[in-house]
Amino acid sequence: MLDGTDLPPVEERLPANPLVVTPVESVGTYGGTWRSALRGGLDNAWIARTVAYDGLVRYNREWNEIVPNLAESWEVSADATTYTFHLREGLKWNNGTPFTSADIAFAVELFSEPSYGVGGFIKNPSNPVTVEVVDDTTFKFVFEKPNGVIMDELASVNGFTVVSLSKDYCSQFYPKYNPDAAAQAKAAGFETWELWMTDRCSWATETIRWANPELPMMNAWMIDEPLTGDASRATFVRNPYYWKVDTEGNQLPYIDHLSMRVSDSLEELTLMALNGEIDFQDRHIATVANQPLFFDGQEAGDYRLGENVPSNMNTMVLQFNMNHVDPKRAELFQNKDFRVGISQLIDRQEIIDVIFTGQGEPFQAAPRPESPFYDEEMAKQYTEFDPDAAAAAFEAAGLGARNGDGFYTFADGSPLVVTIDMISTVRPEWIDMMELLQLQIEAGGIDIELNNIDRTLYYEKRPAGDYDAQIWQGDGGLDVIQEPRYYMANGDESVWAYRWAQWFQGSRPEIAEEPAPWAKEQMDLFNQLRGEGDPVKRDDLMKQILAIAKENFPVIGISLPGNGYYIARNNMRNIAEPMLHAYLFPTPGPYDPFQWYFAAE
Amino acid sequence: MLRFITGRLIAMVLTMWAVSFVAFAIIQLPPGDYLTTYMATLAANGDRVDPAAIEALRRQYGFGEPYVVQYWKWITGIVLRGDFGQSFEWKAPVTTLIWGRLGNSILLEGLAVIVMWLVALPIGIYAAVRKYSLGDYLATIGGFIGLAIPNFFFALILMYLSFVWFGETLGGLFSPEYEAARWSPARIWDFLSHAWAPILVLSMAGTAELIRILRANLLDELKKPYVTTARAKGLSEFRTIMKYPVRVALNPLISTIGWLLPALVSSSVLVSVVLNLPTAGPLLLRSLTSQDMYLAGAIIMLLGILTVIGTLISDLLLAWIDPRIRYGSK
Repeated sequence: MLDGTDLPPVEERLPANPLVVTPVESVGTYGGTWRSALRGGLDNAWIARTVAYDGLVRYNREWNEIVPNLAESWEVSADATTYTFHLREGLKWNNGTPFTSADIAFAVELFSEPSYGVGGFIKNPSNPVTVEVVDDTTFKFVFEKPNGVIMDELASVNGFTVVSLSKDYCSQFYPKYNPDAAAQAKAAGFETWELWMTDRCSWATETIRWANPELPMMNAWMIDEPLTGDASRATFVRNPYYWKVDTEGNQLPYIDHLSMRVSDSLEELTLMALNGEIDFQDRHIATVANQPLFFDGQEAGDYRLGENVPSNMNTMVLQFNMNHVDPKRAELFQNKDFRVGISQLIDRQEIIDVIFTGQGEPFQAAPRPESPFYDEEMAKQYTEFDPDAAAAAFEAAGLGARNGDGFYTFADGSPLVVTIDMISTVRPEWIDMMELLQLQIEAGGIDIELNNIDRTLYYEKRPAGDYDAQIWQGDGGLDVIQEPRYYMANGDESVWAYRWAQWFQGSRPEIAEEPAPWAKEQMDLFNQLRGEGDPVKRDDLMKQILAIAKENFPVIGISLPGNGYYIARNNMRNIAEPMLHAYLFPTPGPYDPFQWYFAAE
Repeated sequence: MLRFITGRLIAMVLTMWAVSFVAFAIIQLPPGDYLTTYMATLAANGDRVDPAAIEALRRQYGFGEPYVVQYWKWITGIVLRGDFGQSFEWKAPVTTLIWGRLGNSILLEGLAVIVMWLVALPIGIYAAVRKYSLGDYLATIGGFIGLAIPNFFFALILMYLSFVWFGETLGGLFSPEYEAARWSPARIWDFLSHAWAPILVLSMAGTAELIRILRANLLDELKKPYVTTARAKGLSEFRTIMKYPVRVALNPLISTIGWLLPALVSSSVLVSVVLNLPTAGPLLLRSLTSQDMYLAGAIIMLLGILTVIGTLISDLLLAWIDPRIRYGSK
């Protein structure tokens, strides 16, 4: 299919030991264009999911094991500080230059610059990393402290950072290698070399990465028409140097072109899908509201619906601010009885029936049933709608008597109104959920005020500590260790204990607060976990953290989300079914889109 | 007249300066900055960013500096080097982003204005002259419907109908093969075969409004003695109406030309989003929600410039069309 181009024969383009991929159903045939769409110009996540999932290592399709990718094998030192990787022999960037250890070292070197970019684990101040290059295919990551989670990081969507920069190309923008870089940046219209570098050699999955066709890639498809600010389409074409083959030795990918419509209009995307102008997509268009529409349109549009299992464990998580700047409120929100009472006032089945057409089941913030960490008791505790039990819980929490309006007061008799911040733009159904929730909780005697605000204000309020409660989606249903924000106060997204999390991270000492003993115990366990090289022991530590979370019940969940769906053209083959769906496990990336193909009909 | 224009040009420069200052201030009013949004977006995806890295970026972008310092850097860059700054979101110079989109906006909205006037003027005159006739009633009903339907809703209806009837997905301004092509007769045809929908949508409400204004103005004029005089002197009915009352009735329409361009750009934001048009509107909306301040500032400022230029044009047109108005000369 690449006849007529002056490329070396395919044996010379492939590495000595190409990665052999077993197709999901059958060996495919070459050709075709996969049409999909981007929401506006900045939808880098869809490209990350379809094109870019190629790190040193990857997750297998069941998401329970880390398997070789660019790295053929690796060894971990007994103390989990040194990771030695062996790259495949003869890997090449899509422009034909070799991909070697030097490229990895270059990326680490660049991101170690304090003035440059966001570098993930490379920039982690609490456990810095250095690289030792042994030879062209062997290098070592050496961490200052044990690092038990780095393999997960490298296998996730964040793993691209270290393999995304060709030293050969990108060093020309770096003053360390090119003394004139700063002056050339100015001449090119950029204030600093850093800005120029970001423009030409953007890392990982930043949108701007797809605007420079000269930037070397290791992905199955490379840029054809770039994704610039005024593009109405971005296209990709097969990488002649891609280093994977199928079980019969055919070089992958099977599909020649990707064509992504750039559109701010969800309406246009929906119509395109109905009209059979989309070959595979779930992002943006696969909403609850669109489902019946797409179901009915299958025959006319010549597509089918497949199933996605979301990694989120909840449709919405309600987080009371235990670190409120008002001590009276902080004390109340830290009181477990108060949270239990609120949870028992929620009629979850009504919400599921009204908002989610009966899909899902009552669920707390707890690992999903598919997860090895699933604990039914944790998932189901306090999910019964029980106003009497709630009244008893409020009494145990020491709330004052109900006033003339039927609302409880603080213990000292002052009025109690709880304001819940929400952002409607992230999930439109949150508004409907919150309005129902407000009626239900108010019927049980707690005065609720809804505060629909902009996302930036939402984030600005967190460090200030002056908010009663916020809501967010249920991250961490399958990626329990990678995303424990609701099980313990581990980072900025643990809004229920923002200041405890700062104490743990050590990044903003001015607002950090010493956590309650149980939360501190979790943090000790998590520190052990991060330094643990053995996955079995890590799982055991995580189970202990979850047990403490179950006992202390920090946040309130509503319901387990129903399964999602995707749209695929009828003759598109080798798509796994169902697919697990998460951000860190960038679906459909781990299901190998490069082995999808169009069957002749 | 020359003195008038010179005076206006000086005033325009001052206005522009004020507009730029206010535009820059408005963008900074919401809490947070681009990096807050950036972090929020990453968090919504489930990604995490080290707060220290964000602090470093914040310094690099100069967000810590006082407002006046940031403004000064921005405005001197524009005046001295034509440099509108960097778009944070696109990590690219603003100038590379806006010209193409602004060009599309002006082209599309210019066409919409022409269509609007071409349709509205004859209908408005007819409706006034043949008051309470069947044609007048039809024009009036059509006008009210046109005014009452929100633009974006009309766009949605068009998209739906086009899908159901013709199996076509309306959207964009070009077919894929012409998107990046040079202008040629084939590309113009392709453009027109896509552009009719947005032009129809964008001109509809404006057309309806114009019809109503023109009809009302003209009805006032038709009763005046000078019309009777003209008629008594034996002028044909057509010339009587076109030469005097219509000219006078156009006065309020022309004096608002200056508002037309910015009004079209802002009113077309939703339509552009719905129909996925590569115009300045969606870019502005996006940059405002993400607090991409130099990009948003540049677009708002350019809209301001369009308004000022439009106002000058409408003043000159007014002087030309309405003999009662004369500037400076005596």
